[in-house]
Amino acid sequence: MTRPGAVVIVGESIAGLTAARELRARGYDGTITMVGREPEGAYARPPLSKDVLRDAAAEPGLAYPCADLDLQHVRSPAVALDCPARTVTTEDGRAVSYDALLVATGAAARRLAAPGQRGELVLRTLADARAIRERMDLAASVVVVGAGFLGMEVASAAVARGMEVTVIDTEPPLRRLLGPYLSGRLAARAAAAGVRTHQVAGPVGLVGDPVDGVALPDGRTLTADLVVTCAGDVPAVDWLSGTPLANPAGIAIDERCSTSLPGVFAAGDVARLGPPSDRGTGRTPFWSSAVAQGKVAAASMLGQESPLLPIDDYFWTEVLGLSVKVAGPLPPDGGPTSVEGDVDAGDALLRWDRPGLPTTVVAFGRKVPVGRLRAIARDGDTTTEEKP
Amino acid sequence: MRVHVDYDRCEGHGLCTEQAPRLFSLDDDAELTYHAEGSDVPADQQALARAAIASCPVAVLRESS
Repeated sequence: MTRPGAVVIVGESIAGLTAARELRARGYDGTITMVGREPEGAYARPPLSKDVLRDAAAEPGLAYPCADLDLQHVRSPAVALDCPARTVTTEDGRAVSYDALLVATGAAARRLAAPGQRGELVLRTLADARAIRERMDLAASVVVVGAGFLGMEVASAAVARGMEVTVIDTEPPLRRLLGPYLSGRLAARAAAAGVRTHQVAGPVGLVGDPVDGVALPDGRTLTADLVVTCAGDVPAVDWLSGTPLANPAGIAIDERCSTSLPGVFAAGDVARLGPPSDRGTGRTPFWSSAVAQGKVAAASMLGQESPLLPIDDYFWTEVLGLSVKVAGPLPPDGGPTSVEGDVDAGDALLRWDRPGLPTTVVAFGRKVPVGRLRAIARDGDTTTEEKP
Repeated sequence: MRVHVDYDRCEGHGLCTEQAPRLFSLDDDAELTYHAEGSDVPADQQALARAAIASCPVAVLRESS
């Protein structure tokens, strides 16, 4: 592919912004148009479920600077893609032409409300986080639907704010993502902090209009001042309807972040590398993978090779004030093969070493640089620590 | 340009050290050191500094003039 005359990036996500920066770093000096739906532009999303829920003062620090990148901004949602004409149409009626297009529209929260039922709270955007925080200012109790990492981060913020917290899921907290050992440890930590967890046998529903409770499969209803749905995410492909990319399981990409359409690439939470797996969706909707895919996609848009793989299995979360950082495949099965430090005290380095396979390594409340975690996961060897 | 680091909010992920290893480093306890504190970023490091700013998952690095 020759150098594109015009690059369009749909989605002011970390994948989209990383791609823009990588295009400039690779010397591309043509037009880059960023199409975004949020008035704030690009900002850091990981703090939304942590600092931002606790304190409005965290908001001003979130914006990512991009003035040095000479970007054209269109702040209106993309509503259609015309592949033969190579244009993206936005809600405010603009038709933006591209030679190379990156779809980085991320994912939307999966919702549980019935059609027409108002007041469901979810957490994907700054506006969502602000709405939850403002409700928390007035609330004494919260029910969180979903005990994945987002649900447990919301629960943690609510505990820090002195609220009474109940978490509902069909599985123990963080079990799907982090496996039985870490799930058990973190569930115990949550219980000690006063979080009540309800393991339910099947899907729950929301009650009230506006929503003020959760209907459990056994017929009981839990009510609270606040109900927050943290029930997973769905790739934001609705605007691509009528194209082969509008797959609700995510846009299939190859290792160059190419899609099935010429000149169209995808990166981040909207994308799926490989077929849907048995266990999950085949997506890796984590921050570090979005960054890796943004970089690879930028190289591919320029017809260049990237030395990187479009995956990065560094992941972190924060549970009741304890930071958990992971490198390597998830979820680790069984217990760790080695423990350095004190797990009960929240200061340990845990390893799952398996012959012939990448190591999973977890910094459990211990500060360990990501470079060292990645080196352990890659080499299974603590002695080859990466030094700058 | 200068870089302002909000050390209170730094979580020690260390992604900045991968982008700009001559400007940022982490010690064994993942405490961040910024090596151009109080001075201008050298001209040949500015693009890397901006990449480091953009790499921070919790946005604790800021460009200042």
